[in-house]
Amino acid sequence: MSLEELAFLVLAGIAIGTALAALLVRELVHTILWISVFFVALSAIYFLLQADFLGILQLGVYAGAVTILLLFGVMVTRKRIFSREAATGIGPFPLALALVSVVILAGVASGLPTQPASVQTYAPAMLSQELFTTDGGWLVLLGLTMLSALAGAIYLVREGRE
Amino acid sequence: MGAFDSLFQWAFLVPLFPLLGLVIVGFFGDRMKKAEFGGWVAVAFSGMAMVLGVLIAVGEALTPGRYTDVSYAWLTLPGTQSVFSNGFSLVMGTLVDPISALMLIVVNVVGFLVMLYSIEYMHHDKGLPRYYAELSLFLVAMNGLILSDNLLEFFLFWELVGVCSYFLIGFYYEKPSAASAAKEAFLVTRVGDVLFLLGIFIYFATYATSGGGAGWAASGFKFTTGSTPFLGSLVGSASSPTLTIAGLMMLAGAAGKSAQFPLDVWLPDAMEGPTTVSALIHAATMVAAGVYLLAVVSLFLGFTADDRLAIVAVGGFTTIWAASMAVVNTDIKRVVAYSTISQLGYMVLAVGAGFAMVGLYHLFTHAFFKALLFLAAGAVIHAVGTQDLLKMGGLGKSMRITSIAFLIGALSLSGFPGFAGFWSKDDVLASVYSQVGAHPLYWPFLLCALATVFLTAYYIFRAWFLAFSGDHPRDPTLPHGHDAPWAMRLPLLVLSVLAAVAGLFAFLPSFSSLLPGANVPPVYGSTDLVLTAVSAGLGLGGIGVAYVMWGNGRVFQLPSGSPLQGARTVLLRRYYMKDAYDWIGLHGVYRLARAADFVDQFVIDGSIRGIERAFSSLSNGMRRLQTGVVSDYAAYVVTGLVGVLLFFLFVAPWIFRTMGGG
Amino acid sequence: MTDFVVAQFVGLSAALLGIGLFGILTRRNFILLLIAIEIAINAAVLNFVYFAGFATGPGGVSGQAAAVVIVGLAATEVAVGLAIVLALNRQRGSINVAEATTLRQ
Repeated sequence: MSLEELAFLVLAGIAIGTALAALLVRELVHTILWISVFFVALSAIYFLLQADFLGILQLGVYAGAVTILLLFGVMVTRKRIFSREAATGIGPFPLALALVSVVILAGVASGLPTQPASVQTYAPAMLSQELFTTDGGWLVLLGLTMLSALAGAIYLVREGRE
Repeated sequence: MGAFDSLFQWAFLVPLFPLLGLVIVGFFGDRMKKAEFGGWVAVAFSGMAMVLGVLIAVGEALTPGRYTDVSYAWLTLPGTQSVFSNGFSLVMGTLVDPISALMLIVVNVVGFLVMLYSIEYMHHDKGLPRYYAELSLFLVAMNGLILSDNLLEFFLFWELVGVCSYFLIGFYYEKPSAASAAKEAFLVTRVGDVLFLLGIFIYFATYATSGGGAGWAASGFKFTTGSTPFLGSLVGSASSPTLTIAGLMMLAGAAGKSAQFPLDVWLPDAMEGPTTVSALIHAATMVAAGVYLLAVVSLFLGFTADDRLAIVAVGGFTTIWAASMAVVNTDIKRVVAYSTISQLGYMVLAVGAGFAMVGLYHLFTHAFFKALLFLAAGAVIHAVGTQDLLKMGGLGKSMRITSIAFLIGALSLSGFPGFAGFWSKDDVLASVYSQVGAHPLYWPFLLCALATVFLTAYYIFRAWFLAFSGDHPRDPTLPHGHDAPWAMRLPLLVLSVLAAVAGLFAFLPSFSSLLPGANVPPVYGSTDLVLTAVSAGLGLGGIGVAYVMWGNGRVFQLPSGSPLQGARTVLLRRYYMKDAYDWIGLHGVYRLARAADFVDQFVIDGSIRGIERAFSSLSNGMRRLQTGVVSDYAAYVVTGLVGVLLFFLFVAPWIFRTMGGG
Repeated sequence: MTDFVVAQFVGLSAALLGIGLFGILTRRNFILLLIAIEIAINAAVLNFVYFAGFATGPGGVSGQAAAVVIVGLAATEVAVGLAIVLALNRQRGSINVAEATTLRQ
């Protein structure tokens, strides 16, 4: 087992643990904390795969912007920030459904090759060339989507809407 | 080109005159100051139709054998768009030929006289405008029927006279018996009409789709081309079983309209209508339409030998069937009604024997003397207010003119030598007798017809003696009769003359050209004089027996222990035919209808309701899924995802393996 | 050049997706719901990144490009989702999705 593989397994364990913790803790602010750790762990995995640009993007967008946004959402919807979430009964049906999907996906994963394979790395320049030439259309579409989402968000939260 | 050709072109005016009368009386009759004004308008228009109709008939008589067809095709389809290879058209037109000219005289003369008579007879009735509107409509339809130049137009007017008959029988619609009699007449004739329509279809399918008759559909199914039958040589060669069936269908239609056995039950009940209606529609004209149909078919489409035997059987049997019921009846109108059925049997018999013209000759004379009998009976009923012969008696003193008129009609009906009925009835018997060699079964029906001569003379003189002979009415409460005013007397007078002499018209050479091939006076062989003597003797015998039993106010009482009492009951119950039809209706048709209703309610509706209920409960279940909670929708999405995964990972590979594929 | 095992990566993705689905199905707080969705999306993004690395041809970089686009989309979705959270909170005083069962009050 190589050092990289070991590092990956540790990071994967952190990611799974923090994701579970984020959903299971009873205080929303703790949830935000756990999910930011989750985002950082994923970013570390990207760095491990030598996808530096994505790692930085993950840190900036998720661990930074999204986390702050979520925290902001918690702040404006709570009178007290550290209020405990009411316990919600977990129905057997959703739980079973989630378990079944996990089992199926695990079954699929176990069928994949277990021999180590080498991983290709790409320079950020290659990625940017790809993004702005070959896949440029997607970027434009993303921009348009973001613009319309901006307009939609403003529409939703504007004053006097009832 | 004859001098009358332009006249024949205007034949369509004959039905149009009464149509004008119908419009005026029907729409404005109620607003006129006096109800009779509307009646006079209708009388005037029917008078115009009579003048034109008689003029056309005279013209036709003077130009023998001329066929004048004026028609307008209002729908034409090319062969590519119809089952008929040469195309197809629907035509309205008038055909003036000898037999329609003869019928024009009958219908319009009797029609005019009845309308005139009705002015006084229906005087007190508040429905007078309705009465005249319906009578005018009837004249429109009847004239249209006899002038039709193609089968479809014929059927159209045939149904129209049927509906007029329904209206007029049910004229006193507040009376339940009249309403039900109208329904009965309509339904029983409808049985014949449906079969008639079926017969028309068979003719179309047989003749018009191929071969020599291929142009028939394109011409609009016309009867004639020029002065020959449209189907030409095909008519004579008709012998296939299909055509026999078609001919039987035509017979069924005629039997419904002309009240022949077994569709005869409606005509006696139709006497619920006004007596004038009985005289015009149920004696002289509409019921004769069946005979006219048979004559038209035998001239232009042809009957097979089997058809003719069936027609002879129906006609011959009906003569004695109906006459026997008339023997015991005590209702003056019903006696005459049974007589009508019986006499129509003679006409059918003649047509069946192959002498359509002889049948029409009897139709011609019968129309006058039977209308006379009905109108005279109507005068009696008008005067004394009852139809029961046993209550009458001695009316000959107070109603001398009516009495004489009825006597002339009775003499003519019973075939007293010299009167109209004598000539035509003798012609019928002689023509059938000339054909007895054709089939051994002709004999019994000829004997039926001969026996009916005796019965006819007996029952009609029984009625005359009961009503008019003696000193005073048997029911003393009866009002004193008096002869009718002139508007009723004039038609009686005219019809009396016609009933006496109409038979002699046949000796006029030009009139007999309206009956081509009728062989008038009847000379069919050396035995004819014997036959004439036999039938005249039977008639005189019948009159004599009636005198002995009923003359001079006598009333014959059948001893209560007599075995004939049973027969009398059967005859009064009309051989239980009506009961049988009622039984069939109640136990057969009604039960079938109940079963159909059950199927409709529980099987068909039930399955629809079941489907509805299934969907309703399904949607109720589905509605419960729509909670509005986002997580629930997410659960459905994930369920779908799991399903898709399961399918592609396990089910689809398993199917591929079992199919033997890769 | 570093060596990794494909099955481990996909296993991580599968586990994260399962956790995300579990959160989506069981949580009633709208913000938690958004977080669960983010976890599921990240599981997908991870896949793009791994398989870009495991690809052998020169076109593999487009996997990373797709990951960039998806991250952008996910961020957009969080922004809209939070706008909905604010609107819901102002309208009903609660962000419990089990209570918001009608489109309008």
